[in-house]
Amino acid sequence: MIGFNLTEEQSVFKQAAREFAENQMKPYAAELDRREQTFFDPGIVQRFADARLLGLPIPAEYGGAGVDYLTAAIVSEELGAGCAGMTVVAGTTWLAVISIMLVGSEEQKERYLPRICEPAGKLAALASTEAEAGSDISAMKTLAVRTGDSYVLNGRKHYITNAGLADFYVVFATTDPSKRHAGINAFIVDGDSSGLSVGRTEDKMGLRASRNAELVLEDVEVPAGNLLGEEGTGFLVLMQTLDTSRPCLGAISVGLARAAYEAALSYARQRRQYGRLLIDNQGVSFMLADMATAIDAARLLTWRAAWLTDQGMDSTKASSMSKVNATETAESVCSKAMDLLGAVGYSKDLPLEKYLRDAKAMSIYEGANLIQRIIISSAL
Amino acid sequence: MIYRDIGKRIQKAREESGLSQEELASALGITQSALSNYELGKRRLYLANLEQLANVLGRPLSYFMEEEKPADGEAATRVDSTDEVTSGIIGLLSELSQEERVQLLDYMKWRRDRQK
Repeated sequence: MIGFNLTEEQSVFKQAAREFAENQMKPYAAELDRREQTFFDPGIVQRFADARLLGLPIPAEYGGAGVDYLTAAIVSEELGAGCAGMTVVAGTTWLAVISIMLVGSEEQKERYLPRICEPAGKLAALASTEAEAGSDISAMKTLAVRTGDSYVLNGRKHYITNAGLADFYVVFATTDPSKRHAGINAFIVDGDSSGLSVGRTEDKMGLRASRNAELVLEDVEVPAGNLLGEEGTGFLVLMQTLDTSRPCLGAISVGLARAAYEAALSYARQRRQYGRLLIDNQGVSFMLADMATAIDAARLLTWRAAWLTDQGMDSTKASSMSKVNATETAESVCSKAMDLLGAVGYSKDLPLEKYLRDAKAMSIYEGANLIQRIIISSAL
Repeated sequence: MIYRDIGKRIQKAREESGLSQEELASALGITQSALSNYELGKRRLYLANLEQLANVLGRPLSYFMEEEKPADGEAATRVDSTDEVTSGIIGLLSELSQEERVQLLDYMKWRRDRQK
């Protein structure tokens, strides 16, 4: 049977995440949004670490909170309502550690997972995108050449969240570009590796609290023991990692939509025009009704996708559906909320315009929505 | 597309092993429907699934991941329309009259027969 009651543990995590978003995210969100893009506030990392959020999905035996993916989605919604930009700093760390949790050897898990759970707070990152290999990841050119007991990596990765900030990276590189997807491998690369550097930092429209930059690999030597999974299976590792983490990305978007909706609802209950409250106009109340309905539907899709993942069932299609629906709901709700607030909403005095800019990014990254539609249609 | 190709290779390996979908699904501990979806590329295979399949079917992982290479001698005769020389020939054909194309075809046949 299907049930929608949260467990006691889920309720505790939800409440803690909501308080964290109110106290540790919202007060700083506008300031971080307006900073120069090359600036990154390390205070974000410390705040996440103090709340033990960086190791959220990491099993307890490695020092993490060890929550299931449904609980991670519930937490993600709360954080997304606080600031989507800050949330992706933690979310990208989860993405990298999930790949190790899914296919890493015991030795790799023991070496890397506890690092993220340290009190000082450490980040991780996942590096797959390249200038000519975005959605078509099989076209990647970053080369890994086996030399004795190690691989030597050369290439440039683009738009890498947490570039230059991560304690370690999960880097995707090919041992044979002619094999396309079958040549791809996943490697764990230490952040202090010789030859690893940061190139151009992206100046982004949204998610400005997080840093995206080019990750440059010049003769970076990686021990063969840092290969994740079997040689030639990096494509499968990447797809499994993205499928698994995608409901959380949807949930961040649900939180973003909720924040915009709540701002619109509050405004409609206070603003008077033509001698009555905005919400007393049926046209306005119907807009709010549509927003609330869309958000609820998006939330349920993310919960179902996360639940299927937790059960070890086929979750790919549900996971892509949840991402498409939640991110497009966020865009639509943010836009409608701005219509409702009019000039006030368009002003930078309120966070609505930031929500809209952040929402656009959610439709694009971690598998653009057009790619999600390919995944969904291939499963029909 | 990639998962569809992997699925076709699973089907081929299964048939070459003389196993039905039901028999292989039973050996893997999954439903026949799940295996069918793997073979059709409708369900994504993860690394652990493929490792299990490779074990049961006695094939290396690379068999399922990589495109089949042409047999010896086949590569030399295969015509790839994206190849620079072939696409150059195709491009120039439009500049030849029908009579000149017949002459070219005769020449190609003569070249082929001379090699026999």
